Amino acid sequence: MELFGSLQGLGIESATLLMFVMLLVLLVTGMPLAFVTLLVALIFALGWTGPMVVPLITSRVYSFVASFVFVSVPMFVLMAAILDRSGIARDLFDAMKLVGGRLRGGVAIQTIIVAVILAAMSGIIGGEVVLLGLIALPQMLRLGYDRNLAIGVVCAGGALGTMVPPSIVLIIYGLTANVSIGALFTASFLPGLMLAGFYVAYVLVRAYMNPAVAPVAEPNEMTGAEKLKLLRGLILPILVVIAVLGSIYGGIASVTEASAVGVMGVILSTMVRGEFTLTLLKDAALQTLQTVGMIVWIGIGASALVGVFNFMGGINFVSSLITGISDNPTVIILFMMAILFVLGMFLDWVGVALLTMPIFVPIVTDLGYDPVWFGVVFCMNMQVSFLSPPFGPAAFYLKSVAPPEISLGDIFKSLVPFICLQILALAVLIAFPGITGR
Amino acid sequence: MAEHPSHPDAGEADAGHLREAGAIPEAGALGRWIDRGGIIFAVGIVLAMLILIQEVVLRYVFNAPTIWAHETTIFLCGAAFVYGGLYCAARDRHIRVVLIYDILPPRLRRAFDIAISLISAAASGTFAWAAWQMVKRAAFAPDGSVRLERSGSAWDPIYPGLSKIFLLTVLTLLAIQFLVLAWNYARRRS
Amino acid sequence: QDYTFRFQSSDPAGNPNFQLQQQWAEMVSEKTDGAVKVELLPVESIVAHNETQDAIAAGILDGHITDTSYFSGKDPAFGLIANPVGAWSAPEEMFTFMREGGGNELMNELVEPYGLHFIGATTPGLEAFVSAVPLEGVDDLKGLKMRAPEGLVQQVFAAAGAAPVNLPGSEVFTSLDKKVIEAADYTVFSTNHAQGMHDVAPHPVYPGFHSMPLVEISMNKAKWDSLPADLQDTLTTSVEEFAEMQVAALREADMKAVEEAKAAGDITVHDWSAEERAKFRAIAQGEWGKVAERSDNAKKVYDTLSEYLKSAGLL
Ligand code: NA
Ligand code: NA
Repeated sequence: MELFGSLQGLGIESATLLMFVMLLVLLVTGMPLAFVTLLVALIFALGWTGPMVVPLITSRVYSFVASFVFVSVPMFVLMAAILDRSGIARDLFDAMKLVGGRLRGGVAIQTIIVAVILAAMSGIIGGEVVLLGLIALPQMLRLGYDRNLAIGVVCAGGALGTMVPPSIVLIIYGLTANVSIGALFTASFLPGLMLAGFYVAYVLVRAYMNPAVAPVAEPNEMTGAEKLKLLRGLILPILVVIAVLGSIYGGIASVTEASAVGVMGVILSTMVRGEFTLTLLKDAALQTLQTVGMIVWIGIGASALVGVFNFMGGINFVSSLITGISDNPTVIILFMMAILFVLGMFLDWVGVALLTMPIFVPIVTDLGYDPVWFGVVFCMNMQVSFLSPPFGPAAFYLKSVAPPEISLGDIFKSLVPFICLQILALAVLIAFPGITGR
Repeated sequence: MAEHPSHPDAGEADAGHLREAGAIPEAGALGRWIDRGGIIFAVGIVLAMLILIQEVVLRYVFNAPTIWAHETTIFLCGAAFVYGGLYCAARDRHIRVVLIYDILPPRLRRAFDIAISLISAAASGTFAWAAWQMVKRAAFAPDGSVRLERSGSAWDPIYPGLSKIFLLTVLTLLAIQFLVLAWNYARRRS
Repeated sequence: QDYTFRFQSSDPAGNPNFQLQQQWAEMVSEKTDGAVKVELLPVESIVAHNETQDAIAAGILDGHITDTSYFSGKDPAFGLIANPVGAWSAPEEMFTFMREGGGNELMNELVEPYGLHFIGATTPGLEAFVSAVPLEGVDDLKGLKMRAPEGLVQQVFAAAGAAPVNLPGSEVFTSLDKKVIEAADYTVFSTNHAQGMHDVAPHPVYPGFHSMPLVEISMNKAKWDSLPADLQDTLTTSVEEFAEMQVAALREADMKAVEEAKAAGDITVHDWSAEERAKFRAIAQGEWGKVAERSDNAKKVYDTLSEYLKSAGLL
């Protein structure tokens, strides 16, 4: 039997199913994740047509690593690696503990606020999850926070990067659907804050129902002078934040360039504190190389898989799923959400957008819905995809920097309540489109 | 799902840090070289940061943006991304899901290590072949003369051609690295 | 025998260009009585926008509908023929050059060695210039921080004294919004308007003065050669018809969008005088020669183009 091209006999339905099963099986063998997706892409390229299709994969790998938007990833990771090697993060959290006062879950809530600030600085996720994972996670663990709560806050908070504008997800949606990116940014602002608000509420509920998950700092006898000294830990981080946000919103730097401003700010901070050495910078840069190697190769694998799936006719397949499903607009929208959930489990958001948007947007517009609102709905749905197993990029990014005793299983378990909150936010968004201001 | 505990001598170290030894012993001499080469690309990341800062200053303060900063930054970061994958392979730092792997008896685990390395080597080798198909179009004009693909911008650097050749090199090294890993896993007594 | 060809567009799915291109695909099917079926995919579905030429040659894609400038890095000739800034003041002028002035033959001479056959040219039309600051002429371009794509366009703006940077299309909106750039070469007025560019850059120049890209419809040469002559002819005619349809449709959409924008009063539409347009054209033509020096093919494009423009009284 001819091996090359033999999979085509299965038809796209069975082939898709086989692809997902193969992903799952290979995933649990212990094969490096990036190579699992690359291998499945290769098997289907060969099995669907033959060796001539394989350059499709290397072409996508090249295009992926040569794209400008990813430049901010090593910048955020470098920032994190330097912060991690200096005392800045520890001092920041000690000071935040003071500011948070006696509020239960105060530090987790402050982490969410930091996550929202980071989200306003960046349009993608990856860098923020790593940054929070290196900085906030160890601090919350040190302060005695429940491990699952801390992990969830870091992953879900880091994923806010694409929900709070600027957002590459909304930009790509805008270009795909030909709607105003500015309108999308405006419309996503409140839903983004709402989602962050849900996280805060969840932390409060958990903390007050079971004080053990979020211990309040001992009412220590500190003099005013001691407190003031502690508060000085806030100054440098706040200056860095002002420099980054100021350079974006003051029209000085593009969003990507601003991430480099952040690195420079952090380097200057370590100099001010007298902690800067070339060894520190070298170690931080080497760690960055390793971390982006992990992060980017996961993306590379996902991008290759999507290219091959599209080559197999994935777009037509998704289109056939949705046609004639119902006459009821609500049912159609909910069915679309279900498709997005399932695809989001296995593919990264760019792939999901490529596969579904050409089909969904015209249908949504024909049904009389606002395509801007749908863009925000899509963006919220992709929040779930960042967290949902088995392919949950935010979980992988955190794993790349978390202490080894935290397993991927632990991370995914911790994310369950946060996925529920995201689905709740999505439901609210669908039930009350007015939240987008449209 | 559980997580691969990484290699034995890294067990107690923080996964995010580099305080432990570099390449795993099974990666052999090649792995040690790959590990040492990392510094070049780490410096590249820092350089990319400095170029971005310089560009912001030139554009905002002097109203004189350069035509080379963005393309050079993308090139440096892209090279780091590609090399980073090889670097992680030599250090066994790629993220792995070890739900089944972890409960296997040592002998079977060794068999898994060998099989995974061999399959990864075969896949990387195939990709290297495919990258060569790409490089043929990027490094040679249709008449067969050598001409590196350029970016087509006003500055028009040869970065696309270089990046594609670099990708071919790294994929080839990756295939060899996985073969070395398979060989050493097979030799190891367990 | 029936043929199914997979084409990738350089436009995203919701873009008006893509929707018009889909009508071309339908047109092909009708004109050939279903013998040729074109499956059109949006940008990046299989490979990136600047990798389609290789993918077609390798047989991964069958064809593409794309701006020829994306292949300037392979040969500067692609950049020059795709957008000889200042050569055309209307799509019809370019189409006449392609059909009667040797343009089609020249394009095939350029793409055939890469394993492609050029079926025909289209264009979205004269692009409108996106600007956050009022621009009345060439002098206002001095020191203007702007985005321009790769190729000749960027070079011409630099020669006119502007400070062009190349940003990907996905960064244009945020950069304009945050004032990192003041202006951008983007696309036609109606699409600029729909994507909200005028919300952040309320001083568009329309009609544009700077760019009218050649969008090529090409396919794998071996597959083209295997088609019977009558189907080849039908495909060629379909592209000519499509080009006219696209230009008309987008021109209408542009005029409607301009009317709406003017009525809403939030933006000021600027229109350059004939002298200012001529000044810009002169700067552009000065740059053609520089590109011509960069490859033999570019020289050939330069010669053919100059000769035609002279004979047609356009130079
Ligand atoms: Na953001
Ligand atoms: Na997921």
